[in-house]
Amino acid sequence: MPNVFAVPVFFICFRECLETSIIVSVLLAFLKQTLGPEHDAAVHKRLVRQIWYGVGAGVFICLIICAGVIGTFYTAGRNTFDAAENIWEGVFAILASVIITLMGAALLRVSKLQDKWRVKISKVLEQKDSKLPIKGKLKSWSEKYAMFILPFVTVLREGIEAVLFIAGVGLGLPATSFPLAVLCGLGAGALVGYLIYKGGNRTSLQIFLVVSTCFLYLVAAGLFSKGVWNLEQNAWVKIAGEGVAEAGSGPGSFNINKSVWHVDCCSPQDGSSGGWGIFNSLFGWQNSATYGSVISYNLYWLAVIVGFAFLGWKESKAGAAQNAEVTSDTSSGHEELAGKKTSEEGIVIGSAVREVVE
Amino acid sequence: MAMSLSNFLLPIALLASIVHCATVTHDFDIAWTYANPDGQQTRSVIGINGQWPVPPIVVTKGDQVIVNVKNSLGNESTSLHFHGLYMNRTTHMDGPTAVTQCGILPGSSFTYNFTVDQPGTYWYHSHERGQYPDGLRGAFIVHDPEDPHKDLYDEEIVITLSDWYHDLMHNLLASFISFANPSGAEPVPQAALFNDTQNLTVKIEPGKTYLFRMVNMGAFAAQYVWFEGHTMRIVEVDGVVLITAKNDTSTNFAFVGSMDQDLFDAVPDSLNPNVTGWLVYDDTKEKPAPKEIDAFEPFDDFDLVPYDKEELLDRVDRSITLDLKMDNLNDGANYAFFNDVTYVSPKVPTLYTVLSTGSNATNPIIYGSNTNSFVLAQNEVVEIILNNDDPGKHPFHLHGHAFQVVTRSADDAGFYDPSNTTTPSATPMRRDTILVRPNGHTVLRFRSDNPGVWLFHCHIEWHVSSGLIATIIEAPLAIQAQLSDRIPEDHWKACQDGDVPTKGNAAGNTFDLLDLRGENTSPGKIPAGFTARGIVALVFSCLAAFAGMGVIGWYGLKPVKNKTS
Repeated sequence: MPNVFAVPVFFICFRECLETSIIVSVLLAFLKQTLGPEHDAAVHKRLVRQIWYGVGAGVFICLIICAGVIGTFYTAGRNTFDAAENIWEGVFAILASVIITLMGAALLRVSKLQDKWRVKISKVLEQKDSKLPIKGKLKSWSEKYAMFILPFVTVLREGIEAVLFIAGVGLGLPATSFPLAVLCGLGAGALVGYLIYKGGNRTSLQIFLVVSTCFLYLVAAGLFSKGVWNLEQNAWVKIAGEGVAEAGSGPGSFNINKSVWHVDCCSPQDGSSGGWGIFNSLFGWQNSATYGSVISYNLYWLAVIVGFAFLGWKESKAGAAQNAEVTSDTSSGHEELAGKKTSEEGIVIGSAVREVVE
Repeated sequence: MAMSLSNFLLPIALLASIVHCATVTHDFDIAWTYANPDGQQTRSVIGINGQWPVPPIVVTKGDQVIVNVKNSLGNESTSLHFHGLYMNRTTHMDGPTAVTQCGILPGSSFTYNFTVDQPGTYWYHSHERGQYPDGLRGAFIVHDPEDPHKDLYDEEIVITLSDWYHDLMHNLLASFISFANPSGAEPVPQAALFNDTQNLTVKIEPGKTYLFRMVNMGAFAAQYVWFEGHTMRIVEVDGVVLITAKNDTSTNFAFVGSMDQDLFDAVPDSLNPNVTGWLVYDDTKEKPAPKEIDAFEPFDDFDLVPYDKEELLDRVDRSITLDLKMDNLNDGANYAFFNDVTYVSPKVPTLYTVLSTGSNATNPIIYGSNTNSFVLAQNEVVEIILNNDDPGKHPFHLHGHAFQVVTRSADDAGFYDPSNTTTPSATPMRRDTILVRPNGHTVLRFRSDNPGVWLFHCHIEWHVSSGLIATIIEAPLAIQAQLSDRIPEDHWKACQDGDVPTKGNAAGNTFDLLDLRGENTSPGKIPAGFTARGIVALVFSCLAAFAGMGVIGWYGLKPVKNKTS
């Protein structure tokens, strides 16, 4: 499984694609709201087309960059990394774990993300209406093609981000593990983006996000543990030399002084028992666990718990302060009502505009 | 660098009809000195009387040999084993530490006193753990006034072969038996030696026939040997080779020893596995470089027939099967096993257990659970079936006997199957050391007519240290009859000096001989699956993951607070 499906790559693609599709969906919704077909069919169509052209152009340029980066890595870089494979795998697994962890937190607040983008887009469009002193060809051009530039820049940015993440994370992974993961990631991202656009049930979306984030953190915890394991394995290979590879999964393949458990079966490295490879990619299973890998796994979860507890505490504090503020000057029901409204009705551009105005 | 062989060319008494019964006495002061035999590095070596290489012991059949050993090493105890000698009625002079004696501590003295009643080419070496490759090994030559081949040759030359390490065995052993060497890769020697030197020259006179006595006294490497331009005829194993000299003095001839690299784990590019010597007919002529050879074509010693044509022992009374394997124990190091037991020296030297346990001495249990002990009755035909479940070659050596080699399989033949084997020779070759092939087997037979405590072990010194040893306790009651009250005082004193118990079972228990509590044992087996530690770790990890996901759920399902102001 690690050979055909790189889980970290999947999540990177998923997340970047989701963000892009949210932006696109916000834009489309905005157009729908303000320039529905009933207003001016031609203009609406042109603008929608602009959006899709922007997305297309962004994807196209991303693909070029992606091909360049991957080509460089797999021709020039690959052999240099092979010599210290365990170090690279270890470092990139930890890196991937950190990236996924940070992304995961954002994914959990994807509705916030939506609001954020709504604000941004509204700002851009607000500017169009407002008479600012700066004039010129450039400005009028960017105004005219705002519906192209916005998705284009977004896709480009998210895409390059994804390519760099994947290049970093995927360096330790075989090339065969990429395509499926990338396709699934993009597909899933687009699908969720579409669901958000369609304004499906917010609560079930949130549950979906929680579940997928849990899953994501399981993967990240496994990666973190695996990264530490790889670094320890590198140290062990340095001590014990070539014999380690010879030993397969038997005695000698691990440092007995650092072993917490070792079972001769169920090695994720063993291609024939594929199930354990999946177990390894998803949850960081090792048939030969070390103190480092076990402790790092537990520490990771500790850090996650503390991190989210802190975020939650901060939010409640901010909320409480806000509430206090709100209660003091206007009615306390307003804020809650607004929140509830947002969560129930899905994309409500009006509220976004209102927020911007505020 | 080249060293004359004259040191080793010893006057040969060819006084055939005179029966020799002389006493040969050697005083050996064993101490560290320095040497640089391969011209690459000067290192500490164990010398005798300040000399290294150590002197050969040369005796005549029937001689009494007395070796007074003084250990002046300062930091290591020692012992001497006389390899290949039957030590009939003197098993206590055989030499292995913790088997037939206690190690001779630094500053102590010890006397070996035995009669040699067998002709041939042998050697002597330390039988203290892993010690002899530091230099304490030399040739032991027994001349035979009645040698049936004596008319076939004019002169005699002793050639010793050896591998050579630049580091001390103490250090090499520490890294060999270590968690950091889980595959049990043996240290690869740095050089090969002829007579403890390289580029050896051997003065040869045209027209003469020479008896070459060859001994490989290395720690690890087998060697292929060939002489250019001469044919050899084997006239004795272990070790006497006959070559017929050329009548041509126009050139000199190279002879080469080449280490068998099959067992070397990683061969450094800088290693020269070969050692060259020259048969020098004319000092003024150049010594040609040895020719390259494409492949080794070794002579198969299995086909040899002993001169006395002793018949095959075909009625086997006692059969012992030894399955050899290499594996790791829970200290992470690699060990060697016979029947899943790796040898660990008993607290009480096995011979002393024999002598102190009366009629219980016939019970193999009292010799300990880590000694691979087998008790033989007297005058039985004993068969050892050795199955090599390891992809390496192992030269097995039995103390106290020369055994008939009944069967020796090719590589990868697997375990011995009596129903599927070739008919043995009617007059099989007898050896004291036999090479068993990778993943093959061999079957050996001998008559238990020599009461004593004899080790059966791989003669690769690394494998001796990693436990590839079995203890044969042959006719223990006869040993008691021969040796009770006849162990010399200095032998007991060696034990007293080292606080080694000399009575009781392997654990030193004199009351209940079957109670082995406190015996020396090997590290334990590696647990096959989860231990308590592993289960706790796994449970904690799962709990941590669930707690973490719980927090994520709590945070994720909290209502999102939009910023409003």
